[in-house]
Amino acid sequence: MASSPTNDPPLPPVKLDPLAALLSYLIPGLGQIYQGRIGKGLLFFGGLYLLFFYGMSMGQWRNVWLPDATELPEVAFAGQTLGGVPKAISYRPQFLGQVWIGAAAWPGVYQYISFDKTKDEGPVFGKFQRMPEEKELNELQRNGNKRWDLGWVYTVIAGVLNLLVIYDAFAGPMFREASPEWLTGESENANTDAPAPAAVASPPDPPPVAMMPVFPPPDVPSAPPTPPTAQGGTP
Amino acid sequence: MNLPLFAVSIYWDLPVLLVVVSLVYAATRHDRWDKILHEATGWGLRITLFLAGIGLVLYLLSTYL
Repeated sequence: MASSPTNDPPLPPVKLDPLAALLSYLIPGLGQIYQGRIGKGLLFFGGLYLLFFYGMSMGQWRNVWLPDATELPEVAFAGQTLGGVPKAISYRPQFLGQVWIGAAAWPGVYQYISFDKTKDEGPVFGKFQRMPEEKELNELQRNGNKRWDLGWVYTVIAGVLNLLVIYDAFAGPMFREASPEWLTGESENANTDAPAPAAVASPPDPPPVAMMPVFPPPDVPSAPPTPPTAQGGTP
Repeated sequence: MNLPLFAVSIYWDLPVLLVVVSLVYAATRHDRWDKILHEATGWGLRITLFLAGIGLVLYLLSTYL
């Protein structure tokens, strides 16, 4: 449950942070670190890079690439013949999930752009994230004991999980809580034009009713009896 | 003695996936570490039970059918 409609204090307005989202796309968790959420940023960085590169190692570092599809058969989608990157993605849709890991998948993009079929390796990254030859691919799948296939699944999951991390950097976590600074009204939000929440204006303290004695203590003398008056007194 | 459970298998790669997915997903839903760890534990248990159930069904199918 995000919040109950009863007595929860109002939350501060959501502040969207496109720069943090961009940073978290480049390197998982970098946007959270930029926002000061160091622990979560390190968790995202370590977790997603562990998953992505562990998956690559399961596939002998040969399961992340964007293929050169210039000599492959034409692909039609919705009545349109695909070309360029869409055609390449249609032959390797896994890359559409892998690319969201950010800079770690950019060598694959560079290898796609600079691909030269007359050479065995790319100009900068060698064979790293370069399209393997069909013979090598067949050997990887035949001898990999299914780990080659499971490896690219890991890399896709890492990329798709980073979409959640990017959103967390952009708009915060799914379930938000008011920080103590917000509740006490001492945050830097007080300097902005944002309306102050109702919780900041705390009501005056109630009198300590429970601490007040209901009856006078026994050592306090009670009020003296009213003396008889002349009008109503006894004779 | 043949211990197929301890043989080199893709199943030994699953804990990495399970732990990372549980922690990262839980951390995108909360900011407080106690809630992150609590939710990650829940997701880890649910995923483990789901995978174990699927494994059991496949084992029974391959053994008795």
